[in-house]
Amino acid sequence: MKGNKYDVILDTMPETPSRLEILFRQAGDGFLQVEYGREQRAALQDSFRILAVNDIIRARQINGLIETVPGLRTNLFHFDPQALSSADLIAQIKEAEDSMPTIDDVVLESRVIHLPLAFEDSETKKAVQKYVKEVRPDAPNVINGYNLEYMALCNGVTVAEAKNMILGTEWFNSGCGFWPGGAFLWPVDPRCALVVPKYNPPRTWTPEGAAGIGGPCVFTYTTPTGGGYQLFGRTIPTFQFSCKHPIFKEGPFLYRPADRVKFHEVQEQEILDIFDHVHNKTDYRYQIESGQVVAKDYLTWVHSEEVQNGVRELKAKQAEGVRKAPRL
Amino acid sequence: MLKIINGGIEVLVEDWPGRLGYLGMGMSASGAFDNLALGFANLLVGNSPGEAGLEITGGFLEAQFARDTVIAVTGTDMKPTLNGESLPMWQSVAVNRGDTVKFGHIGEYGFRCYLGVAGGIDVPAYLGSKSTCIFGGYGGFEGRKLAAGDELKLGAPRGALQDLAGRRLKDGVRPDYQRQWQLRAIPGPNTSPDYVTEEGMDLLFSKSFKINHNSNRSAYRLDPLPESFFARPDGGVGGSHPSNILDHAYAIRGALNICGNTPILLIADGPTLGGYMCALNVINADLWKIGQGTPGRDSITFRMVGQQEATEARRAQKELLSEASLA
Repeated sequence: MKGNKYDVILDTMPETPSRLEILFRQAGDGFLQVEYGREQRAALQDSFRILAVNDIIRARQINGLIETVPGLRTNLFHFDPQALSSADLIAQIKEAEDSMPTIDDVVLESRVIHLPLAFEDSETKKAVQKYVKEVRPDAPNVINGYNLEYMALCNGVTVAEAKNMILGTEWFNSGCGFWPGGAFLWPVDPRCALVVPKYNPPRTWTPEGAAGIGGPCVFTYTTPTGGGYQLFGRTIPTFQFSCKHPIFKEGPFLYRPADRVKFHEVQEQEILDIFDHVHNKTDYRYQIESGQVVAKDYLTWVHSEEVQNGVRELKAKQAEGVRKAPRL
Repeated sequence: MLKIINGGIEVLVEDWPGRLGYLGMGMSASGAFDNLALGFANLLVGNSPGEAGLEITGGFLEAQFARDTVIAVTGTDMKPTLNGESLPMWQSVAVNRGDTVKFGHIGEYGFRCYLGVAGGIDVPAYLGSKSTCIFGGYGGFEGRKLAAGDELKLGAPRGALQDLAGRRLKDGVRPDYQRQWQLRAIPGPNTSPDYVTEEGMDLLFSKSFKINHNSNRSAYRLDPLPESFFARPDGGVGGSHPSNILDHAYAIRGALNICGNTPILLIADGPTLGGYMCALNVINADLWKIGQGTPGRDSITFRMVGQQEATEARRAQKELLSEASLA
């Protein structure tokens, strides 16, 4: 199978009706990347399957497997090659894949986390003002002192419609990363799939709890940091270094892979109160429901005429929006 | 206790292998940038090789001991002194309560130096490691670099101080420092033919890359690559540049990330996930060399190896960091 000396595909599994071809790519002397398909495809069903297989493999507690890092269409396996060979690891992954031969088998444990959200709050507004003052005075993504109007413009929708899109869908976490405790959140409902460019150049400061969107992904900032996502509001803490609040007693992270986030709109004061009850009084009760994602049901729904009509309408508006919106 | 008189440029508490197991939560492993030098410093003072010590970057640390103990300094030669007298490196030395160590600037070869103390630096482990992640501001000593006035607790030595002092390394054990660092690397996950041209990969494994002065514990930036490096016209849905890819996990520590035309080694505190391809990975046993690479002065070359050589190198390094290396 080795075509040239830089061919790093160690093994493959053929495409089936329920999944793409799987490539096992060498990624270091202690790293293996499992990739779904040869094309760069952004499709939630790939993520559902990657996470379902990931759960099976982690439950096996394979000796020498240090950790896994799932992404939307890839999973990175970090292992100790002195304890586990890549060939043995690949064999274990193949077994896990084969244990889910049809789409009916792809069922994923997935919590729904309800997060209050204040649009255009004063803290994230400060971050935008600081950016204009210190980084890019002529930033075209800042309209009337904020990013929401630019987000709407890029997608050919009104600000009210953009807000409704953020509130109108669950946001699925394909895997945590980029920043401690951060989650890459994708819209479950493709009719709510806003797409926006990222800041150019990035911000130097973003407050904890800021909610933003870059490309197709929503991100809630776990700690104060720089950042490049367009800001639309502020939510409550999703991370706590000190692990004082009971929800963080196992570790500083709120999000887990496969979680879904559902935002509901509140006034800014409520966000500030909850910050106090999470970080100081440590008695805030997070609203979290257990649940499942059933890949087959998702695919049936997403391919329904109603959803697809909505997607076509949105895409037409977005094509118009991209033409009109200034580039960053 | 160790009292910091001058925190120098960047002095951090680091251990090894660092904070493993949290990549999937967005936390890189951090850990000693040169784990070999930290390992020898620990070995010399009777600690386990991964115990927490001080990583001194750029120099100018000054600190005073509040108790008798045994120390060892390894890494680049920052002309350390003990009470103003030259302090020998790569061997363990007894210090008395009230003694002061002081470090100069970086040496002629190498960039970081390590101070090992019998019993280690006693900071609370955070998520299983005493390492500092300076970019996230957690771990180590209050999640930050040391500053004047800080007081660090020391752990309990693993033997009688008189037995731990005066230990040396056998001849030939001490690592060789250069200005041209050859890193053994495994290609992947994004190589030729699909992401990079064969000519591009040949270039990667033959060119000498200068380390950009804009380098730190997250990222070591190297000289840019030519357009002919890329096999694709663009990144598809990942983005407009051929280095773009749909966000995937970075195999840190050691991934060579291709960010636009700039190759960047992602190391200790690097990002865990992102939208750029990665063309090779430095083998675990050679990560230490990156930590001794001096930004703006030293260069890096990559030599392609296979899994077998890399695994063997891990085994050999483990053996090197054992009592068998002591004279």
